[in-house]
Amino acid sequence: MADQGLTVEEASAARSAAEFSRAARRDQLVRFGKGLAAYLVLAVFAVIAVGPFVYLLSPSFRKSFELFSYPPEWIPHSFYTGNFGTILNETSYLRWGLNTLIFATSVTVITLAIDTLAGYAFARLRFPGRTLLFALVLSTLMIPTAVLIAPLYIMISHLPDWTHSGVNTYPGMIVPMVCSPLGVFMMRQFISTLPEALVEAARLDGASEWQVFRKIVLPLMKPAIVVLGIFTFMFQWVNFLWPLVITTTDDMKTLTVGIASLQGQFVTDWGVISAAAVMTMVPVVIIFLIFQRWFVQASMAGALKQ
Amino acid sequence: MAEILIKHLVKRFGKVEAVRDVSLQIADGEFLVLLGPSGCGKSTILRVVAGLEDANSGEIVIGGRLVNFIDPVKRNVAMVFQNYALYPHMTVYKNIAFPLQIAKRRKDEIEGAVQRAAGILGLEDLLQRLPGELSGGQRQRVALARAIVREPDAFLMDEPLSNLDAQLRVQTRLELIELHQRLGVTTMYVTHDQVEAMTMGHRIAVMSEGLLQQIGTPQEVYRRPANVFVATFLGAPPMNLIGGTLESAADGWQFRRQDIDVPLSSDVIDPSALQLEAEAGAEVQFGLRPEHFRIGPPGTDGGIAGRVQFLEPVGSDLYLTVEIGDTSVQVRTDPDSPLQPGDNLTLLYDHWRVHVFGADGHNLRRDAPPVASVAAPAPTAS
Repeated sequence: MADQGLTVEEASAARSAAEFSRAARRDQLVRFGKGLAAYLVLAVFAVIAVGPFVYLLSPSFRKSFELFSYPPEWIPHSFYTGNFGTILNETSYLRWGLNTLIFATSVTVITLAIDTLAGYAFARLRFPGRTLLFALVLSTLMIPTAVLIAPLYIMISHLPDWTHSGVNTYPGMIVPMVCSPLGVFMMRQFISTLPEALVEAARLDGASEWQVFRKIVLPLMKPAIVVLGIFTFMFQWVNFLWPLVITTTDDMKTLTVGIASLQGQFVTDWGVISAAAVMTMVPVVIIFLIFQRWFVQASMAGALKQ
Repeated sequence: MAEILIKHLVKRFGKVEAVRDVSLQIADGEFLVLLGPSGCGKSTILRVVAGLEDANSGEIVIGGRLVNFIDPVKRNVAMVFQNYALYPHMTVYKNIAFPLQIAKRRKDEIEGAVQRAAGILGLEDLLQRLPGELSGGQRQRVALARAIVREPDAFLMDEPLSNLDAQLRVQTRLELIELHQRLGVTTMYVTHDQVEAMTMGHRIAVMSEGLLQQIGTPQEVYRRPANVFVATFLGAPPMNLIGGTLESAADGWQFRRQDIDVPLSSDVIDPSALQLEAEAGAEVQFGLRPEHFRIGPPGTDGGIAGRVQFLEPVGSDLYLTVEIGDTSVQVRTDPDSPLQPGDNLTLLYDHWRVHVFGADGHNLRRDAPPVASVAAPAPTAS
């Protein structure tokens, strides 16, 4: 060893340094490989999720006759915005939009009011039959919506005129959709996680039952309210079946029903329909982006107790 | 301020009897500590007094008024919870002001009251903070401020220090004592911590399994425990108990266990309190606190011979585990003691320090209090 100009210690140090860097390189490679695999898997799911949107976006900017060209083209040659013009000028799109906004907003607001109050009652008040009633509420979750549509329609269509709640009216559209048992369940579970002592402290401080709810429980429920609100709004914004059944006139249609009505018996302008669908999506995407931060916070809220 | 009377309180949760016929009298301005292990019913008593739970039977009288059927808020008591129960979405100011706002007091009146309460508890600089931005000690002070701002007739405190770390607990304990001296409000204080009970209470009510075991000043319950439970629950390390029999001797009575013979002075111990025939060799327990042993050289007369098993130095004291016969006792002694494991010694004691407990657990000392089914009248608060 000595004639090679290295002491035993130096040689072993050099050897271990080389081993160390080899191990570090190997470690880097393994990490890179794992990262790549994870990204590939995620990419597959991203394509599955985003694909339909892109597929919808592309024809909305193309003329109808270009749509059936072969081979299919994803990226339009020209950027044609005429489809949007057609929608706005030649259909009642804005009226449908207004109807949808009224419908979805009303259902959301009323659902939130009912579900938070019912959730509070089930979580915090003691009254006879509480468990049975709650089980009853939950059991309605098992009834498919489709089964309810026909009886609901019959009920609404037989309401006397003075109620102004029949077919082709806002109340007739809205009222049967409010209050979701899932929402009641969500709210009850959330309220159950709030410390009992808070409610007791408020009662000792002189708060009435309503004040306890309004001043203590409701502000603390913000995360749950945001989640239920977004879910309800998004669901009702694209609700198709009920508005289809309960509206018959063009000026009462919602967006989903209106767009579906654009399909002709013989000719369907897919470019126009795509454009309408894209415009319908935009508000939902915007709402989600605005509340996204809250949404994530809310889903974390249960995990981290203050 | 008000006197609180609890008469024959019974509270059941389903089949569980959490409080079993407890009677207490808390004098106006008194600081009474309810002490006992978890699940002994002490918090339940507090919650019944507050009105958060209804009594199954018995009367609650606050300030001469029967309150059983009166709403919590109208009882005019303030409660401090173990987990503070601050409203997390409100600032400190709003937390303290909440009871006054609910009572629809005038704005300037609320402002003044909040500032006064904040001043008493040193919270002036924290009024705009949220509870989440405060330390445990600060949160506890906010909870106290919210309690005092209403100027209640009584404070009910449910283990208010148990969420604080050791150092902060000592500090907050002193603050609570000072607060009580300053405001003089009748206070019921629930804890399982005997140090809190001994240092803060004018009187201590010791509870176990829903029953009131004893009530008295800290000195009384420590020196003259009514029964085995009180004797062992108070004191760290707890009182030594040795099982054996009571025998008659030429000049009175003696405790016997194998080769241990302890003469009992009939001035101190009164075996006639035993339901059984004392001469028949009744089963009893001999009790002596660790600090009441003195250590003498081996072979000293009038003591119990023993051998050191373990040493536990805790800084201020040295705890010895001493083997005597087939059992062992704990002895508290000078930390500078030269004793080593294996050393022989004689344990000496004053005969008037001795406790003897009958088979039913009751203390047979002449000066032991009777079983506290009905509370003794409260002394005037200092």
